[in-house]
Amino acid sequence: MIKVENVTKKYGSHVAVNNISFTIEDGEIVGFLGPNGAGKTTTMNMLTGFIESSSGEIEINGYDVSKKAKKAKKEIGYMPETTPLYNELTPKEFINYMAELKGVSKKERKEEVQRILKEVNIEDVQNKLIRNLSRGYRQRVSLASALVGNPKVLILDEPTVGLDPKQVVQIRNLIKSLGKDHTVILSSHILSEISQICEKVIIINKGNLIAVDTPENLENKVKDENSLLVTIEENNGKVEEIAKKINNLKAINLIKKLPDGTKQYSITSKNNADIRKEIFEVFAKNGITIFELKKSEATLEEAFINLIDEKPKKEEKGGKK
Amino acid sequence: MWAIVKKELKSYFFSPVGYVFIGTFLFISSIFFYIFLFSSGSVQFSNLFYYTAELLTFTIALLTMGMFAGERKNGTETLLFTSSRSITGIVIGKFLAGVCVLLITEVISLIYYIILCSFAGGLTNQAETITVLFGFLLLGMTYISIGGFLSSLTENQIIAGVATIVTLLATWFLPNLWSAFSMLSPVSLFQKFPQGMISISDTVRIIIYNTIIYIAYNNCITEKKESKVRG
Repeated sequence: MIKVENVTKKYGSHVAVNNISFTIEDGEIVGFLGPNGAGKTTTMNMLTGFIESSSGEIEINGYDVSKKAKKAKKEIGYMPETTPLYNELTPKEFINYMAELKGVSKKERKEEVQRILKEVNIEDVQNKLIRNLSRGYRQRVSLASALVGNPKVLILDEPTVGLDPKQVVQIRNLIKSLGKDHTVILSSHILSEISQICEKVIIINKGNLIAVDTPENLENKVKDENSLLVTIEENNGKVEEIAKKINNLKAINLIKKLPDGTKQYSITSKNNADIRKEIFEVFAKNGITIFELKKSEATLEEAFINLIDEKPKKEEKGGKK
Repeated sequence: MWAIVKKELKSYFFSPVGYVFIGTFLFISSIFFYIFLFSSGSVQFSNLFYYTAELLTFTIALLTMGMFAGERKNGTETLLFTSSRSITGIVIGKFLAGVCVLLITEVISLIYYIILCSFAGGLTNQAETITVLFGFLLLGMTYISIGGFLSSLTENQIIAGVATIVTLLATWFLPNLWSAFSMLSPVSLFQKFPQGMISISDTVRIIIYNTIIYIAYNNCITEKKESKVRG
């Protein structure tokens, strides 16, 4: 379990992370979101003990990061955003070195190295120099170094950046499978990725914690109305009039005209009533052909943008008072 | 700690800073050897080290400039400081790797001694040889400490290297300006070793020197770690 309590990080007068608290249970896969400069990497660096917090407490599986640093660090595997590697070593040597640094005993080391090389699928390049490897392979070597010593907590800073689509799917699946017996914290800019892999999302902006919730809940917060998207074909321009015949209709708005001559409308109903059946019947009677009818779904992306935009507005108001 | 020593040595000889250091040192030593010993018919092996000590002032930066600056530039210091190793272990590991390269150089430079012995028809000046090798090692260790310390202050290897050379040159010349500085100059402390003497006070002073620099190291690295990284 990871416990973060009232953690603040200041650089002189600049506050990089402002009094954030959250808890992550064992075995959870948590997505860490925020725009550039939000304090994601700073928070991750504090979790790993690479930098110390100015105030507050961080506990990893019961070990305080600043007081029992050695034990806490053993619980963590960290893959930094910049994928730092030693170019003059081969992946095998590098993983072996990391295993030595993490205190894996000499007996288990060889087996451990082979297991990890296999797990991230870099066996075929294990004896090439890291400097000659492509971006995707370097990324995987870096991920491999996080897995050394089988730590219970994995902290991955942008693990899929720079990979080709096939590799992205592979790494995502790998992270999912790691999530079965590890606690995983990952940051990413790809929101679809977060909503696919993560059970929980932590959003921070300008050093402040904005939301901790499941992706579904965050998405639901955004779609407050039961809105439908309808693509239709009609030529007499009477859609709005016809639509008024539908009971419980709240509003109908043209979204866009499509190149094939059809038009897309968004329709909302009163009291969240389901009016799909009625739309079909009324439109069909009045000579309007429906090409597509679907519920509009809010994405994590919308939720994210909403939350990020919301916060500064509140602050501004507060400031004016 | 040993893991770090091993890895550093590997890096030294792959990069190939280690070969360049040993090669340059031995090449210029050979010239000194020819001019000051061989052609003048001297068999005083230890005298060679008065000159190579000067040489070390310029070449040691090769070994030390990348010690921490390189790791910082590459971002690999994250790997070191998030592993469960202590900062003390990391610092000593890197220091010892540098000392190992220096030792290798010393051992190879024994060739000159062997050449002198073959001309003298037997072992000559054993005492001076042993003390000078010991003294030279202490001197080199101090230089590595200073160089490593300066390397921990920056992420630019060239700045670290130049700063090291300037600082070491200053320790040469400052005693000429004010004699009290000779207490602080590693080279002044080295002077008695080639004469076959192990001065306890000088040895202790050099060791204290190393310890102070070592503590400074540790603090600097921790401080740096604190004030860096934003995101």
